[in-house]
Amino acid sequence: MRAVVKGRVGVFYLQGFLDGNNAPSFLTIEDIKATEELNIDMLLVSLKKVIFFNKNGLDVFVKLLTNVRNHQHITVGFCDYDHAKFNIINTFYKDGAGFSLFKSQEIAELFTASNKGESRTVLLYNEDPSQRSAMAIELFDYGHNPIMTQSKHEFEEKKKNPELYYAIIEDTNLGVYGQKVATRVTGNAIIYTISQFLDAEISDTFNLSYHQNSLNVGFRLFIFDAYKVISMNVHALNFFTKLASSAAEYNASICFVGLSFEKTPESFKNDLEDAGLMFFDNMDEILKNKELLQELGGGGGTAAKQSRSLNKSLVNELPQFIEATVSTIAMMTNATAIKNSVNIQTLTIPGTNDQYASSIGFYGDIDGLIILIFPKKIAKKACELLIGDENASEEEVLDSLAEFVNIIAGRAKVLLTAKKHLLDITLPRTYADINTLLEIAQNKKGVQVDLSFEGERFIFFLTR
Amino acid sequence: MITSEEIALYIQNIPATPAVVQEALNYARAGDLPKASKCASQDPVLKLYLKTLMNRPIYGFRNEVSDVAQIFGILGLATTQQTLYHYLLSLLTPKKWELFSLTNHQFYDLQASISKHWEAILTHLKINDKEIQSAISLIPASIIVCEALFAKHKTEVAQLRSVKALDFNTILFRMTGSDLFDLSGEIARKWEMPSRISDLIRSASGTEKNLTGQERVLAQWMHLLLFYELSQSAYVSAGLNDFIDFKIEFVQDIYESFAQVVQYT
Repeated sequence: MRAVVKGRVGVFYLQGFLDGNNAPSFLTIEDIKATEELNIDMLLVSLKKVIFFNKNGLDVFVKLLTNVRNHQHITVGFCDYDHAKFNIINTFYKDGAGFSLFKSQEIAELFTASNKGESRTVLLYNEDPSQRSAMAIELFDYGHNPIMTQSKHEFEEKKKNPELYYAIIEDTNLGVYGQKVATRVTGNAIIYTISQFLDAEISDTFNLSYHQNSLNVGFRLFIFDAYKVISMNVHALNFFTKLASSAAEYNASICFVGLSFEKTPESFKNDLEDAGLMFFDNMDEILKNKELLQELGGGGGTAAKQSRSLNKSLVNELPQFIEATVSTIAMMTNATAIKNSVNIQTLTIPGTNDQYASSIGFYGDIDGLIILIFPKKIAKKACELLIGDENASEEEVLDSLAEFVNIIAGRAKVLLTAKKHLLDITLPRTYADINTLLEIAQNKKGVQVDLSFEGERFIFFLTR
Repeated sequence: MITSEEIALYIQNIPATPAVVQEALNYARAGDLPKASKCASQDPVLKLYLKTLMNRPIYGFRNEVSDVAQIFGILGLATTQQTLYHYLLSLLTPKKWELFSLTNHQFYDLQASISKHWEAILTHLKINDKEIQSAISLIPASIIVCEALFAKHKTEVAQLRSVKALDFNTILFRMTGSDLFDLSGEIARKWEMPSRISDLIRSASGTEKNLTGQERVLAQWMHLLLFYELSQSAYVSAGLNDFIDFKIEFVQDIYESFAQVVQYT
């Protein structure tokens, strides 16, 4: 069994009965290896469809989760259970086995980074005050708005109005929480929250691959929320200097906000400024100053000052990308997509209304960005198999579009790997408003392929 | 990936019930085991199937059982009918399983285990009905149909399932409007089995919302039994555990009784 990966969360979906006899059969050696190689921030086992489990059954997965956590420093645990199952797990692992428990996957996802800049209001309660505070801090660091209740009674009262909250968090425990730096997205800026004493460990806890992905999909402003940083040593200084150099290649800006130099040598500030990092006293200085935001790259429009040109190696592989797109549409809809024209040009979209777009980057032996633009009706049709509901909301359609473009990139990766090109793919990004995409991509030259599907036109655009 | 036309072609290509088996089934339904066994003996393939089946460890016979009359005598009326259905299904099993890592012997063991537990369940439910008892033998047909339709799309399904937890039954339904249990019901219809059987098979998917009374009870027990069997180590390894969606909320209220009946501890 393989984990299903959505965004940066991998989940094993088990069904039926889970005991010591059958549990090892869920995971072959290849499955374990594939799981250990996943590039994710959180690994969970869903118990939603498990009608019976015992400790021996859970132990098999706990062992895998612990291994993954020890090697990758990510959050691991179980999710999707009711109150009874929560109590049973806590009885089995009285002294704690180090994993996290999230009542639902929806709750777990609040504790991870995504490409979306949504701030959710959530109601929170845990009997243990330290757990309660830890969860509230993490949620806040991920850009959410936790309403922490101090007593069970207050929680039950507030719970009577569930419509006020995106999620109600109970029967949830962070356990030994992943050590990754918390990440959130605000508009076109990515905010990393760092704290305490920064040393060599920062290179383990900072998710470099997520940062690289973000650069590849067009983010250009990265802010380190450093209010809670006490001090840093020379190893951390080197780390941030290197990060600044790599950001310069993309013309991206890196800023520190709220960093105090009481216990950090002033000379570090000079070194970091020389490397191109900027310092601000508070977040609003950046986020509420539109001109500055635009200048730093967080406005989106001026993102790619140093636009990189198409190269031969990317154009040579164009057929693989088109094949991956066309065959994915055929697989998902049983209908054929027809290629109408291929041109090297800047992205040209006739009319920007009633369309959705999605993009996904890839990097490795070759690098670039795939952009797909669909009429809304066609996007919905193409994702019908994934959605399964004719009355799906815009959010569900956009989520499915991200999964759709992920499949396309996955297929392209397989085709290119067969030609000995090794590459990784970034998180997909979706756009409900085409203008947001145009702000990032309008000046980029690329290959535009106009395709039609059931008589409606859609655009495939490959660029760097 | 899979179209309604492919499904129609698949159903069309299902062989009709062989005359000998049909005749043996008619005698069994009429309660005439001697004539049923005489009839079954005329078909060497059926005879070999019965002999192989009866000597599988699950039946626990110390000496080899080889005479058809003796086999039918041991099985009794209802189980004979059930075994003849098993034989019909065996005509559809692939020579080589590609989608699921399964052998035909493992598949026959699954059929036998489901049948034995179903017998215990019906005793618990105090239901004494030959048709209901034998209906269970058609449940594994959904696995055969799944193998036949999806084997050549294994890679595509794996890519789809790497981003979304979709089971084969849901994929098929969303693409064609029919699910694996509908198709198993079609097979039962093609083999001229009573309509009650095809209805029962359809209900085992756990997705039918309008079930009431005994129909609903039987559907619940069938659905849970199927998942109990598919949670056995060999079938988990074969990739059968997640081929359909387990409707846990549909069976939650019978779990305690179920665990007692199948002696699951």
